[in-house]
Amino acid sequence: MDQFLDISLFNSTIRMVTPILLAALGGALCARVGFFNVALEGMILTGAFTAIVGNHFFGNVWLAVLFAAGCVTLFSWLLAFISLHLKANEIIVGISFNFLAAGLTTFTLRALFDVKGAYYDKNMTGLPTWNIPEVQDIPVLGGIISGHSPLVYLAFLLAAVMQYYLFKTKSGFRLLASGENPVAAQSLGIKVRRIQYGAILASGLLCGLAGAQLSLGQVTMFSEGMTGGRGFIALVATMLGQNNPLGVVASSLLFGFMDAISIRLQGFSLPTHFTLMLPFVVTLIAMFFFKDKSYLQHSNKINGRS
Amino acid sequence: MLLEMEKMTKKYGALTANHEVDFNLRKGEIHALVGENGAGKTTLMRILYGMEQPTSGVIKVDGKERQFGTPADAIQSGIGMVHQHFMLFPSFSIAENIVIGREPGTAGRFDRKEAAQVVRELSQQYGMPVDPLMKIGDCSLGVQQRVEILKVLYQGADIIVLDEPTGVLTPLEVKELLAAIKGLAAKGKSFILITHKLHEIMDVADRITVLRDGKVTGVLNTADTNAEELSRLMVGRELAEFKKQPSVPGDIVLDVDQVTLQAGKGKPLLDQISLQVRAGEIVGVAGISGNGQSELIQAITGLARIDKGKVRLAGQDVTESSVREIRNRGLAHIPEDRYMWGAAGEASVFENGLMGYQRKHQRFGFIQGKRSRKMVADFIRTFGVKTSSQETKARYLSGGNLQKLIVARELGHGTPFVIAAEPTRGVDIGAMETIHGELLRRREERGGILLISSELSEILKLSDRIVVMYDGRITGELRTEEATEEKISLLMAGGDIHAQS
Amino acid sequence: MHNLKQNAKQLIHPLVAIVLGLLAGAAAILVVGGSVTETFAEMWKGAFGNFYFFTNTLARSTPIILVGLGVAVAFRAGFLNMGSEGQMLLGALAASLTAIYMPGPVWIKIPVIFAVGMIVGGLYSAFASWLDTRFRMNLIITTLLLNYIAQYLTGYLVSYPFKDTTGSAALAQTQMVDKSLWLDKLFKGMSVHTGFIIAIAATLILYVFMKYTVSGYEIRSLGSNPRFAAYGGVKRGRLMLFSMLLSGAFAGLAGTVEVLGTQYRFLDGALSAPNYAFTGIMAAMLASSNPIGTALAAVLLAALQTGGMGVERNTDVPLEISSVIQAVLILFVTARISYSFIKRRKGGAASGSVS
Repeated sequence: MDQFLDISLFNSTIRMVTPILLAALGGALCARVGFFNVALEGMILTGAFTAIVGNHFFGNVWLAVLFAAGCVTLFSWLLAFISLHLKANEIIVGISFNFLAAGLTTFTLRALFDVKGAYYDKNMTGLPTWNIPEVQDIPVLGGIISGHSPLVYLAFLLAAVMQYYLFKTKSGFRLLASGENPVAAQSLGIKVRRIQYGAILASGLLCGLAGAQLSLGQVTMFSEGMTGGRGFIALVATMLGQNNPLGVVASSLLFGFMDAISIRLQGFSLPTHFTLMLPFVVTLIAMFFFKDKSYLQHSNKINGRS
Repeated sequence: MLLEMEKMTKKYGALTANHEVDFNLRKGEIHALVGENGAGKTTLMRILYGMEQPTSGVIKVDGKERQFGTPADAIQSGIGMVHQHFMLFPSFSIAENIVIGREPGTAGRFDRKEAAQVVRELSQQYGMPVDPLMKIGDCSLGVQQRVEILKVLYQGADIIVLDEPTGVLTPLEVKELLAAIKGLAAKGKSFILITHKLHEIMDVADRITVLRDGKVTGVLNTADTNAEELSRLMVGRELAEFKKQPSVPGDIVLDVDQVTLQAGKGKPLLDQISLQVRAGEIVGVAGISGNGQSELIQAITGLARIDKGKVRLAGQDVTESSVREIRNRGLAHIPEDRYMWGAAGEASVFENGLMGYQRKHQRFGFIQGKRSRKMVADFIRTFGVKTSSQETKARYLSGGNLQKLIVARELGHGTPFVIAAEPTRGVDIGAMETIHGELLRRREERGGILLISSELSEILKLSDRIVVMYDGRITGELRTEEATEEKISLLMAGGDIHAQS
Repeated sequence: MHNLKQNAKQLIHPLVAIVLGLLAGAAAILVVGGSVTETFAEMWKGAFGNFYFFTNTLARSTPIILVGLGVAVAFRAGFLNMGSEGQMLLGALAASLTAIYMPGPVWIKIPVIFAVGMIVGGLYSAFASWLDTRFRMNLIITTLLLNYIAQYLTGYLVSYPFKDTTGSAALAQTQMVDKSLWLDKLFKGMSVHTGFIIAIAATLILYVFMKYTVSGYEIRSLGSNPRFAAYGGVKRGRLMLFSMLLSGAFAGLAGTVEVLGTQYRFLDGALSAPNYAFTGIMAAMLASSNPIGTALAAVLLAALQTGGMGVERNTDVPLEISSVIQAVLILFVTARISYSFIKRRKGGAASGSVS
């Protein structure tokens, strides 16, 4: 087993967790304003694709990340507009956004790069990895924490910022209020609609970053449907973390760890089917053990249970 | 004049909710706005608070014309509103609920300590004690009401609108509230009190404006009027003198025996409830809503599982039976909330009328369309339900018409026992008379009826016997002849009438 | 007369959505520098241009119709079953294994194969509904996760224990089903098979079931207001299990029909790649879960896909153009939902504030 549980496994956990964490933070923000964002999957996919497109056209990986964040924010604005403004059922809209993301990325992939399935350019550079001078020399911990892409560090930083924002600031307090009782918040002159828009746009931005980490951080390529259900896992991470940024970090770490194990197991002589299945099984089991009340409310809304 | 509203008109399509209503308020005055459900009181106040825009009319505060596009504008002009359904955040503390929108703190940081301190001072200043750190969800409704008032005071309101403030309070809490209002008025705050309960306003209000069908039918000084005059102005005609034959109770149709319903680890929602209903009598259940009436209905009808005790219907034990079996054994149920339980808004009138009959009107698993349509047509005709057709979606029906459809459907089963919960909540007078008449007719036909209502007047009018519920228990039982509002009020607050007499 | 008007009204919105979807497609064609008229002409030809293409479209629509019907049942009952993919895969695999390994005469085997496919699909779906009622696990999420699990599970089963080792190809697939069990082609040399007839029959049966039977009435009432249904004596738990079972059974039937009518074996990825399951969900959404509408929408979506192939063959525009049109179509359908929502809001506000 000493080959199995080593430093690099935890190092890859940190790397694998990042897209899930970023998206789950976005999901948590949406859940806090009472919006059940099922479109995370499609938004990450769009982010992954637009990051590659940005990199291809700008030839600069930072501009590419910005481009991805911008595009997905725009995409999430459409989601917000249709669900909030036109008052469509947020779940149906979310599901159709996942279709839309799949359709648009496939088409554009074909239209721009004239390839099917995947795009890879060996001249394209991905996100750099940062070795943190002091930290990387610490035994064990250094090996786990150091040597990641900047987006990895940004993800954890954002979680901390979000925790502070929600529970220590006036603006965060009002955001919580709009989610807890929108009618009451509205009656106090709080601009609930604007806050909801803000949360959904922020989730778009976060998913854009998540996608960029996926296509530029972990690999340097795009393939159709490369999110492979991570958006749905992020949604579960949101629920398990009870929509608390720190809780979301914890639950995302669990799923990231499963992702990392799943990849590690492929080195052993297990059929890949099982290693690939593992994250989903664990997610299902996690749902069984941890139940979040606010999520239950959502499920009531959906299923109409009294 | 502190506040003047002149010729306020509000139309919703063809419907006129307010027609050229004039209303004014002096400083330090308590001004009651009374009228039946649907008379336009709430609409008028929503306009004042910026939640609705008037079709025409002028609002002046301190003589200056104002326009309120949003509640924030109204708050800015010193108008505060305590809504009928409280606008509170259950998981937040009392202090957070009061300061929200104007939180203390610097540079965007929310200083919760400071908030608690401010609330403590505010509550001392106005003599309304609260614990700033307590969670709203753990507070009684009386305290929540107090928090609502402190909130508008914190916002700097001089004009405070209270919309049906006593509906959910116990008589003791009502007394405290009215005393607090008087105290605040003496300190220079002005109140608009929306209500349809006349006896409450007679001792606190200075002036009274009466609305009927969206129009003002009178502006009176409380000192110069009485409850009879007010109810005449509210209703617009003398109500038909109500006669009912004395009841001749027969066999027991419903027997609720020591029923206990537990939710989680807290105290039981229903605590050893026992009551009987006999054929040919109406038993009224009085009580402030939220004292176990809903749970009692659910326990009897099979919508909730009970922990202890027995429910018998016409002598048969139905404690473990499903809703369907209980209905088949002879129960019909007019639900307390017609939109939540009694109808599906997106379904048609026909589909709504069919509910409960779908397994009676069937052959080989198919619904008998002709027979069912004829039945629903009968409902519509005999109860005078106004609908363009059976295909109309139920949500297009007015509250009164939908309620008539539901009552027709349930009485149509011809069962020996009927639960009628809040049978006339929010319906117009005409529909109310129809429904009351039909319930009494069922009683004449030897049906047993359990009437659950938070309107004391309805209980007193229809019941032969009255039981009072408080906090999940039955605190007393009275024959209607010996029942008075005072006795029932005392029982409703958990008191004991025998201890006094 | 009244009914006719309402039906017409129900049709307007999908039609508007289709027009807008085609407009968006036109925009996309212009972006990639194609000719709009030529592309649409090729698309039409590819879908309906001659008898071969037309039957091809119908063949493709067969599993989509069946999946869509299943989704429609669940939607009508108020449950967002997103797990058709997994239910279809497991049903298909179970049916092909039965077909391959079960002994006995054909006339017994055929009904057993169909039953097994439907039951397995139904059970997988019912499992998710059991998780929801018993453990309160969100149905949308569980069904989505179960898709991935089914995909990898079937992939494993046909890569290892049930792998076809007779042929030379190293594909992950089962052996071929015996010819006697194949569904007949409707026309010689054309790909459409009796499965299409089965799908049409299922559509009509479901339509009658939902509209005229007691259970159909109860399912609809559960979907429109579950509390009202419970109040009226409808047994929610049982009905949820039943409607999810039925929903999954339709998906399983789709898989079975596809195996017996087109693939003649279970080939890993062959049912997932054409996106039958999610297209079925789209069809149900497009038709607001009306059975007949769902079938029509399924044919339309299938035509978009076969038409896309025609476009790819004969022009420079990629076949993915159809994905764009589909996606925009769906988006405008949600806007259609929102349109009725707006009306509801307004109505609600008016009646709510005067009481």
